[in-house]
Amino acid sequence: MPQYLETFLAMSKKVLVEYSRYPIAFVALFVQIFLIIVLFVITSFAFETPGTGQAQTTRFAAMMAYGFVTNIILSFTLWEIGFSIREEQVRGTLESLYLSPTNKFSNLLSRVFAILLWTAAISIGGLLLVSGLVGGLPVNNLGKALFVLLMTTTGFLGFGFIFAGITIRLKETAQILVNGVQFFFMIFSAQVFPFSVLPLAVQDYVSRWLPVSYCVDLFRTTLIGEAPELLPNDVLVEYAIVIAFGIVSPIIGYFYYNWIDRKARTEGTLGEY
Amino acid sequence: MAPETVSHGFGLGRPGWRASLDIVRTVFIARLKIIFRYRLSILGETVMPVVFAAMPILLGTAIAGGSEQQAADNFFRYTNAVGQGTTDFRLYMLLGSNTFMLVSLMLWLIGYWVRREQETGTLEALYLSPAKRIHILAGVTSYTLVRALLAFTTAMALGSILFGVNPLAGNFAAAMGYFLLGIPALWGISFFFGALVMRIKEANAVIQLLQWVLAFAMGIYFPVSVFPAIVRYTAMAFPPTLMNDAMRSSLLSIPSLYGEWYVVVGLMFMAAWSVPLLGYEFFLRTERRIKRDQGVGQF
Repeated sequence: MPQYLETFLAMSKKVLVEYSRYPIAFVALFVQIFLIIVLFVITSFAFETPGTGQAQTTRFAAMMAYGFVTNIILSFTLWEIGFSIREEQVRGTLESLYLSPTNKFSNLLSRVFAILLWTAAISIGGLLLVSGLVGGLPVNNLGKALFVLLMTTTGFLGFGFIFAGITIRLKETAQILVNGVQFFFMIFSAQVFPFSVLPLAVQDYVSRWLPVSYCVDLFRTTLIGEAPELLPNDVLVEYAIVIAFGIVSPIIGYFYYNWIDRKARTEGTLGEY
Repeated sequence: MAPETVSHGFGLGRPGWRASLDIVRTVFIARLKIIFRYRLSILGETVMPVVFAAMPILLGTAIAGGSEQQAADNFFRYTNAVGQGTTDFRLYMLLGSNTFMLVSLMLWLIGYWVRREQETGTLEALYLSPAKRIHILAGVTSYTLVRALLAFTTAMALGSILFGVNPLAGNFAAAMGYFLLGIPALWGISFFFGALVMRIKEANAVIQLLQWVLAFAMGIYFPVSVFPAIVRYTAMAFPPTLMNDAMRSSLLSIPSLYGEWYVVVGLMFMAAWSVPLLGYEFFLRTERRIKRDQGVGQF
């Protein structure tokens, strides 16, 4: 078996064993997502105009729920990679791990693999919950939507690699940065509401410049079965942006991570926290 | 025979109040020094509540068809149905988010303090030192209070500018009074929380989950009176809900869920002395149990 695969399997097993030692954490994660969804659903009831049609309610719920799926994938990818690196720093095992001849890419990927499987289960559960609350969510073009979600996830992995590097460099502060980035995309990539809510200037000067916005837009409008909000007449361009993001982002992320890693080794700061 | 050194601790000697105060001061300064190494964290705590408030504001405007006036009307209709009608949904959300962040920070910081000491292996050493736990905890909780207050004040100022609301328009003095009266209860809850983290260890997950349970129970985005009776009364028995509601009612000039102002003040006084006592007792009991079982060194 190639070394990178062996490393990936061994590290993934280690992560799974660690998770199994903390079962409450897993259950807590699941419940937490449901709570967030219900919190936003109740909040949305507070603003609903009386007499709103069922179709409009369903469409809005779909926008929110499908967008939220991309949000939790981004959130878990950033947190899991960055936080696990931070934990190794605090416990003092990061330096010894990095001095071992293991494959770095497999090492990083294994940190997020288990949580992504869990995220998939959480997403399905969350969507079923919202579907039950609003009387059914629209599901169209499932194959295309899953492809968009796959590209989105690989793109987010690139962000995760960048954050692993940032964690080595910034240490404790990186967690706040993760929070900041997560909420930045939640708002400017309209992950829990349609883009039309954002002021035009924000849409034109911020949202349209973020590849994540196109991922969110394409994923949810594909499932709802309507034209994308950002480029309604150029669906193919949206696909091109999403695919490019899914391929280029992990490459850039990994190069950045390697650069930080080399720098930390040269400066001898790998063991510091 | 080789000389032998035996430690008898303090023997009959007991540290005086100066020494005790010094422990509180030392812990407080040590924590502050650590956090000032990570200044960006403090900035993050200012921005976070504003983002938390922005989400329902944008969401609400979207649901109301993009019109702010319509959103305000709809929100008034909804809150008025439970006797707390207000059109100022921006200030409502900002206050809820800020109070939530204050409570959340106090829990996070205590929980993480315990967890961090466990992970770095210093919790056991701390327990073997002759310092009383109450003084160490007083130092840590004072630090969390300063940090949370800093975040609350700056986030309130930033949010007010960004959302164009004036928090000084209502009864600001009363709101501040309720705010200060609510702090001891938060201290008590953080003792409960510290004990919980010490016991079940999975701090990160527990804190994140409880944070959202808290958001629910406090009614950060809507009045808790929309819940079914059992959930509503459980939420109302929670001191942060009382604090949040009291501040909202004075700043937005809406009736409190708990009744007249003297009822609110009475309940807050009751929570201010009973919750810290119960919290500290719970912490001590948990600690004794852990020491008897596996010891505090395990994580």
